Amino acid sequence: MLRTIGNLLRNNREFALGAILLLFVLAFAVASFFSPYPPQDSYVVPPDVPPSWAYPLGTNSRGQDVFWQLTFSIRNSLLFGLSVALMSRMLSLVIGLVAGYAGGVVDRVLMTINDTFVVIPLFPILVLFFFMMHDQMSWALLAIAMASLGWPYDARLIRSVALSLRHREFTAMSIFSGMSARQILMEEHLPYVLPIVFSTTLNNMNWSIGLEVTLSVIGFTNIETPTIGTMIYWANQHTAIVAGIWWWVLFPIVLVVMTFLGLYLLSVSMNEYIDPRSRLLAVEGQK
Amino acid sequence: MRILRILAFVLAALSIGQPAFAQGISNLPRQDTIIIENPQGTITNPTWFNIWVVARGGVSTGLQQLGMDTLWYIDADAGLDGVRDNSLAADKPQYNADFTEMTVKLREGIYWSDGVEFTADDVVYTVETQIKNPSMLWGPVFAASVEAVTAPDKHTVLFKLKRPNSRFHATFTVRWNAAWIMPKHVFEKVEDPTKYDFNPPVTLGPYKLHSFDPNGKWYIWEKREDWQRTTLARFGEPGPKYAAYIDPGPPDKRVILQLNHQLDIIHDTSPEGVFTLVKQSPSSHGWFKGFPYAHPDPTLPSVMFNHQVKPFDNPDVRWALALLIDIKAVSMASYRGAATISAIGVPPTGLYGQYYFEPMEDWLKNFEIDTGKSKYKPYDPTAGQQIADMLRPSMGDQIPTDAKEIAKAFGRGWWKPNPEVATELLERAGFTKQDNQWMKPDGTPFKITLLVEGDQRPVMTRAGTMIVQQWRQFGIQAETQAYPSDFFPRVELGDYEAAIAWSVETWGGHPDLSFFLDSWHSEFLKQPGDRQPPRNRQRWKSAELDKIIEQIRKIDFDDPRGTELGIEYIKLAVKEMPTIPLMSYNVFTMMDTTYWTGYPNAETNPYTNPVPNWANTKYMFVKLKPAQSQ
Amino acid sequence: MKTYALYLARRLAQFVLVVFIGINIAYLITHLTPIDPVEQAIASATMIGQSSPEMVEGLRKTLRELYGLEGSAFEQYVAFWRRLATGDFGPSLSAFPTPVSTLIWQALPWTVGLLVCSIVIAWGVGNFLGGLAGYYRGNLLLKLVGIAAMSLQPIPYYVVAFILLILFGFVWPILPISGGAEMNIERSGFAFIVSIVKHSILPVLSLVLVGMGAWFIGMRSLVSNIVNEDYVTYAEFGGVSRRRILFSYVMRNALSPQVTGLALSLGAIFNGAIITEVVFGYPGLGTLLVRAVNAGDYSLVLGITSVSIFAVAAAILVIDLIYPLLDPRVAQG
Repeated sequence: MLRTIGNLLRNNREFALGAILLLFVLAFAVASFFSPYPPQDSYVVPPDVPPSWAYPLGTNSRGQDVFWQLTFSIRNSLLFGLSVALMSRMLSLVIGLVAGYAGGVVDRVLMTINDTFVVIPLFPILVLFFFMMHDQMSWALLAIAMASLGWPYDARLIRSVALSLRHREFTAMSIFSGMSARQILMEEHLPYVLPIVFSTTLNNMNWSIGLEVTLSVIGFTNIETPTIGTMIYWANQHTAIVAGIWWWVLFPIVLVVMTFLGLYLLSVSMNEYIDPRSRLLAVEGQK
Repeated sequence: MRILRILAFVLAALSIGQPAFAQGISNLPRQDTIIIENPQGTITNPTWFNIWVVARGGVSTGLQQLGMDTLWYIDADAGLDGVRDNSLAADKPQYNADFTEMTVKLREGIYWSDGVEFTADDVVYTVETQIKNPSMLWGPVFAASVEAVTAPDKHTVLFKLKRPNSRFHATFTVRWNAAWIMPKHVFEKVEDPTKYDFNPPVTLGPYKLHSFDPNGKWYIWEKREDWQRTTLARFGEPGPKYAAYIDPGPPDKRVILQLNHQLDIIHDTSPEGVFTLVKQSPSSHGWFKGFPYAHPDPTLPSVMFNHQVKPFDNPDVRWALALLIDIKAVSMASYRGAATISAIGVPPTGLYGQYYFEPMEDWLKNFEIDTGKSKYKPYDPTAGQQIADMLRPSMGDQIPTDAKEIAKAFGRGWWKPNPEVATELLERAGFTKQDNQWMKPDGTPFKITLLVEGDQRPVMTRAGTMIVQQWRQFGIQAETQAYPSDFFPRVELGDYEAAIAWSVETWGGHPDLSFFLDSWHSEFLKQPGDRQPPRNRQRWKSAELDKIIEQIRKIDFDDPRGTELGIEYIKLAVKEMPTIPLMSYNVFTMMDTTYWTGYPNAETNPYTNPVPNWANTKYMFVKLKPAQSQ
Repeated sequence: MKTYALYLARRLAQFVLVVFIGINIAYLITHLTPIDPVEQAIASATMIGQSSPEMVEGLRKTLRELYGLEGSAFEQYVAFWRRLATGDFGPSLSAFPTPVSTLIWQALPWTVGLLVCSIVIAWGVGNFLGGLAGYYRGNLLLKLVGIAAMSLQPIPYYVVAFILLILFGFVWPILPISGGAEMNIERSGFAFIVSIVKHSILPVLSLVLVGMGAWFIGMRSLVSNIVNEDYVTYAEFGGVSRRRILFSYVMRNALSPQVTGLALSLGAIFNGAIITEVVFGYPGLGTLLVRAVNAGDYSLVLGITSVSIFAVAAAILVIDLIYPLLDPRVAQG
């Protein structure tokens, strides 16, 4: 594992750049644990101070240090992306593996639902969700809602792999040896699809963080939790751009763009490395 | 290469088009046009002009400011010719001795924009039609109070009332809006007046509709050729030939538009946006030429408690929470100091300084809280002064130095924070403190959820965030919760503990308090879960208050005893602290003098409220003069 | 032809199913919301301006009747589908009594225009440049385009639109940042078109910048695979001009997956159009949707969501139906 990463870092420029970007962003998130101020308190420092030695990223119009605010925000945004990704991976794994393994009617029903979710425009549905939950809208609820919308693309991908695994000899062997369907899926098929799961996790995080930013800036989330989106929301509320407090807007955007690029580059380079087709070919060769 | 040719063509077309749009308002001559923000934003239902049906179309689109008219207007500020103006009425309302009849004399020679004369029949029709159609806005009010309405002659209307009511004329008196008069000759021809869109509107005001955007982003009004046959003509000719009410977008886009001189009046923006305008646009000014720039509307944002939820029914708890608030920090957090604070239950605006604040100052200084353990005089008369002093280092000569000016701009005193007294009050109410956390008498932690409106009212949201922070520091688990869209329904259903909102609104120019106070009578009080009609949103119940309200009902609108009774209400509200008054609702209305001059301002010409969604702003149009000709 | 008929039937059935499931989800969610449109309407009428206890009590009683909020949940649901069959979503509650469909028809052309322009430009230019980049792999300029495409592609629409707004609306204010056209302009003729084009530059640009990257990258890798195929090599030996090889052989064959990709990503592009409209105050479905949510107008919210589900699904269907006629292999696969 470590050697693979070492190889990738040395030989794959995209992987190296992505890793550096993400490490930087992660360092920011970790720094939040050392913040001298609670994230929700305002007027703890003088407002509207431009970046300086005392306040490297300046302070905002709410009297908060932009640097420390940003550490909390990026931490929450990353956590948000990660929880959505993990939850939706579960869904796409279960649905993809079951559809691929069971085939027939089960497959057709599951894939019809799947294709419906692929074409439905998600943004209006998420806005609807806010419309329904409204005051109860919280970070966790939004994550669950997005997870239940974010699985179909990848479920189809996993299904296609599972479909080919089903016709493989070792599957037949397992059935003969009396393993249950659950056992076969968990013990035999899962390892083959895990690499896909891993690379789609990164893409999915990109997707969910992006949507979170979008929903937050128009105020359709809980604005009390500091995230990159709510940070831009508050900056807009204080008309930071026309008031000349550019550092309140610029730094969150730079950091979040770094996150997007980092995740994207990692997933692209990993995709090349762990292309499921090449893995299958390798299995074929061993047989 | 074909692509290049097409590109070149498009660019050429754009540059040809350019000069025509340089002013941003295309074919209307800019120097004849005033451009005003419509704070309702984009109107979802742009073709709807029937203002008498509940909130379905645009109202602040110029429709109620320039198109409508009714019997009387009361100004939030000084007024063009005194606070009260008889608009369609020729005189003040004439009541009989027991206030069961009201006679109105109407002006003669007033015409609708389609040339039909305005008469008493229009007024009678307005009342009768709405009684017949209870889904029309004023229907329920007329149905509850009017027994019969008749027109003895062409210019006289006689109302017979169901019960004695010395304030019936208030329904026809504009404070922001009022019951507008309907054109009988238009509406009597339609089958169902509630389904009629009234497009184009036939107006009584000095302007008529010129054109509007089918997507609801702008409305243009044109001065009537026969403007002399409208009530405003008594004060001269309105300046602008055209008035455009537009949706300029979010607060920062409004500032950008005014910097480019494409928006003459900003309705409201953020304090930070105003500071930018003051710095970068010498032609822009607010109501105050210097700090705090904003116009204090006669509305009193407060920390409201739901008295039907324990422990907020206890005045000791409410007072304790008030003594934990540092108003200076709240003023800074919400308005960046540009707030006009008030310690008492009326807004510190218009002429209320002389009506209520000055007479009460001594009583407030001597007011004492007795916690059982100690006595404390909470009033700090210098709070406004302190805010001014705090801002002076950074704002310099923008900050007035004269005590009177400071009182007008920043307000007078407020309550001095005192955690010890708050502790004693809470302890008397049965609260205990365990490890830096206050416990309620039943042993559970003291938690407060303070509702705010989020980005619908950013400044108030900021005030709420600061207040819960101060409560948290004292050991109360307090947090804000933002409800951008159904805030008021929730508050009025009583589904809240505390909220930043208001239940006090006054005429501004006139000392009568019945505008809000009458609805605070306990006869209107609802059970928890039932909708409380405006404006007793705190569900305060007090026998003493009922007595005051009943006395006010029995005296004439202009009776000097009204002010005395008002003072009694204020004293009662100080003792009971039903809501914690914070400050007036300051609106950052910014006016650009590049094309028009003569806007009202606090220092030299406070003739009307400039906040453009107020129907009272129609008086501004006769004072506006083109800047170029000077 | 028989395979096509079968394919046609399958795709149509799926279309119906998608629309049915989608609209049901939207119906369910809008009717679970705790927001009461009657209270919402009264609050908007009485929150500011004159009001009195009598007014509120009276309005409440009559509005409930007027809005047609009576009847059991099931009756309301049946009535909804019956009306929908005739293209009627009932009256909007925040713009009562204007029908929801009227409001949608006013906004729809703007959104469709924005979408069509940006998709045509992003897809066309992206694929064209991507094809060139795959074929002429040494070209420095195209490599730079590739890096730009890579960096823009993962960024959400909102962030790109917001950056453009700041750059061209504030830092260097040369383009309009609000609305769809100038005020009081004759809604026909050349000046109107110029005005629309001017107002559309920034919204379209933000959709194109984000959208183009994916097509560029996809096409580049497709073309660089095809270039190594035998028939391309033969063509080169046979002296066919490079230009002809690129356009007639290589790009044409690479186009098929890109068309399927377009069909699959229409939903996502639509999301982008909505948010872009909100940023630039563009008078389309997106701004209408956000306004409807803020006004608690669930009949309008439901109408917009249903129409967008229908429109996206229909657009995908059209692409799927036309495409096999051009490339018969698709229907068999």
